[in-house]
Amino acid sequence: MQRAVKTGGHGLLGWLAGISLTVIVAVPFVFIVLQAIFPELGRGSLAAPLAHLSRTLGDPNLLRLAGNTLILGLGVVVGCVVVGVPLAVARALFRVPFALVWDVAFLVPFMIPPYIATLGWIMTMQPRGYMQQLTGVNLAPLLFSVPGMVLIMTLNLFPLVYFALSRTLEAVGTRHADVGRVFGARPVRAFFRITLPLATPGLAASLLLVFALAIEEYGTPAALGTRFGFEVLVTGIENRISDWPIDLPGAAILSLLLVCLSLIAFLIQRRLLSTRNYDTVGGKPQRKEKRPLGALALPVTLAFALVAFLATGLPILAILATALSKTISGGLKPSNMGLQHFAEVLGNTGGALQALANSLSLGVATALVAGALGAVTAYAVVKGRGRGLWLLDALAMLPSALPGVVVAVGMILAWNQPWLPLTPYNTALILLLAYCCILLPQPVRYASAAFQQIGDNLEAAARVAGATPFTVFRRIMLPLILPSLITAMLLVFAVASRELVASLLVAPVGMMTIAGFIWRQFEQGSVGLGMTMSFIAIVLTTLIPMSLIALLRRFAGERFSGLH
Amino acid sequence: MRAFTVALALGASLVATAAMADITVYSAGPGGLIDKLAAGYTAKTGVKVNVFQATTGKIMARIESEAANPVVDVLISASWDTATDFAKRGWLTAYTSPNAGKVPDFLKTDTAVAQGISALGIAWNPASGTPKPAEWEDLTKPEYKDLVTMPDPAQSGASFELVAALQAKDGWDLFNKLAANGAIVAGANAEALNPVMQGAKAAVFGAVDYISLAAKAKGESIDVIFPASGTVIAPRPMMILNWSKQPEDSKKFIDYVLSDEGQKAVAATYLMPARTDIAANRPLISDLKIMTIDAAAVYGKRDQTLAEFAKVFGK
Repeated sequence: MQRAVKTGGHGLLGWLAGISLTVIVAVPFVFIVLQAIFPELGRGSLAAPLAHLSRTLGDPNLLRLAGNTLILGLGVVVGCVVVGVPLAVARALFRVPFALVWDVAFLVPFMIPPYIATLGWIMTMQPRGYMQQLTGVNLAPLLFSVPGMVLIMTLNLFPLVYFALSRTLEAVGTRHADVGRVFGARPVRAFFRITLPLATPGLAASLLLVFALAIEEYGTPAALGTRFGFEVLVTGIENRISDWPIDLPGAAILSLLLVCLSLIAFLIQRRLLSTRNYDTVGGKPQRKEKRPLGALALPVTLAFALVAFLATGLPILAILATALSKTISGGLKPSNMGLQHFAEVLGNTGGALQALANSLSLGVATALVAGALGAVTAYAVVKGRGRGLWLLDALAMLPSALPGVVVAVGMILAWNQPWLPLTPYNTALILLLAYCCILLPQPVRYASAAFQQIGDNLEAAARVAGATPFTVFRRIMLPLILPSLITAMLLVFAVASRELVASLLVAPVGMMTIAGFIWRQFEQGSVGLGMTMSFIAIVLTTLIPMSLIALLRRFAGERFSGLH
Repeated sequence: MRAFTVALALGASLVATAAMADITVYSAGPGGLIDKLAAGYTAKTGVKVNVFQATTGKIMARIESEAANPVVDVLISASWDTATDFAKRGWLTAYTSPNAGKVPDFLKTDTAVAQGISALGIAWNPASGTPKPAEWEDLTKPEYKDLVTMPDPAQSGASFELVAALQAKDGWDLFNKLAANGAIVAGANAEALNPVMQGAKAAVFGAVDYISLAAKAKGESIDVIFPASGTVIAPRPMMILNWSKQPEDSKKFIDYVLSDEGQKAVAATYLMPARTDIAANRPLISDLKIMTIDAAAVYGKRDQTLAEFAKVFGK
């Protein structure tokens, strides 16, 4: 981390990023590595190093788990390209009817916990599910298959690609392609040779994030994969710590394998980006004019509507149907519908209201900390100079490859050491740390992609005019990346408000979170109550950011361009 | 940077709300029960209880990670095996509650006593259009083709004991037939029950009874059948950890759970109360045929049993 100091005028920010990342990411990660080496670490002993290594790596299932993980990760990446790229291009370069509606609809999947969305799909498509009750057919064979699983995870993750790519393409604009047109390129050629390559940072960054999130995702593989014997590394890790005897070192070793997979993807992405220059935002003003779609308006609108229905409408409707059903076995009959579950949540059954308050305030805190840290880190990595910067970048990417449960174990191991005079463990602060760790990659990726498009001449001009590096960051860089950063912070807020795996394990005693509440209801067989809480949480985590954006636009007017 | 200050202030206020507990209890589900017991105990004694509730597995992972600096005073697990194992490690404080007199001897040791007991049974949906099953074997019949789910023995201690007990009695034959009949192994207990409630599946082989009984009480179309050939029970041990800094208050907590009031709260969740003199609205141990297992032998070859089970179900 000391190397970050050699970043010329960016030293201070580099240091700030380095120290924060060390505390939030490196410390728990180091403890996971130590746990993989020293099985007795939890008891404070360094006995029997590497005793587990051969047994864990010698497991004949390991190759299958790793293979399945790769299949799933790559499948979801391909799915997200197929679904996300055409929509993003249409959105960024053309006047799509109801564009704002689609943007909102595509934001909602972030607010739906993947596990809940999958449960919604299962309850819709399984035999005697909602779909069969309404139409007489069920699609269970499709749902419980590898393509079905890839499809559902794609619908959950493609918005990452959609938002990143459409924002980047908007920044690129049509100006460069127009130059190409002047020199005789046809529109399609100009798009594929000029516009799309210029948007590579945004696309590559979001695809890397999709891959990392897909191989780290637990809920969907656990709910669907177990039904047809498709196990991945994460479910293997969970199995090792889901029943006594607990195999922490085994789980740690498998997690490190997962990290290696992500690291390889990360290196490929870096290599792709490092060889070219993607500056598109210079000092010159540009028109942000979009073209009409013409005859394609209707098919494009239908495509947006279909994807919006599958990604948002269907899971939400299934969740709402379950929330309104008095009993699950009663089915979709009017006599079985009622608001009693909503009344129970509002009546604070099982501490529902405290759970909402706790999770929402943690979500806000995480968005602020991770957003600020993400911007500083991205700035130091992209605009700084020095050899240690790749390490900073890798550290910021690391958590997206770590399963939540492993981050949680690392946090406990690190922060529950008896010699620490002061520790966040067993306070709400540990959840804040865990969420920041897990979610940091999002703002870092979004902000780096934005920084990569800002030409160095803007900064140089400001420095010549006498601005300090901090002023440059605050007055020039930050406003330019703000739309991307705010999008990322909204995601962080939504995901942190409903994070499940780490919350269950590191939550301080006596503190309930939204996800903890939902999980507790499911565990007790009260699926309806759990789904009601999910629905309320989805509505709140969607409405709060939306009103915030509306407010920002009212006060900042044209200057605020996020999510337009 | 202003964001940082705001966040720090927010963090600080969050810390302030998480006051230190007087005693700390880690408990397996059901969540409503431990909340009720904690509130009742606080009302009686004035001692505050801070609760961490999760699955037995998550609780164990937390205790394992915390072992260098443990904070838990009282542990309530859903698997008796944890009590045996923790006693062997010397982590437990010996205590016999004065209220444990009516707890049968096989549900208490020097260092642990049952809070309540669950049993495994067949959870069957009467609206599924299948005949009512009576025996484990029934679920291998063609009427239940592709309609049976089963909790994963790798994720549920009780499910593992059922597999071990049935396997010790009749070998893998029953499970081979189940697998051939399209039975699926799906997650932990709740995941196995959910498709049966909606009707996608007809029956759970080895469902934890109290979850299904509570669902039935809420109006779900679900019945619990305890096969006459025998089933296994899962007593839920309560233990005081020997590193507890509040051993006296912890002992009083055990006393409270075993008091009339505490045991009635246990019975209200459709668990069997540990004390035989407390009434419950459900079949009790004396109504069931219990298969006994040799815990030491069964847990000694847990890995092997799980591997063979996984092979049978092609996992």
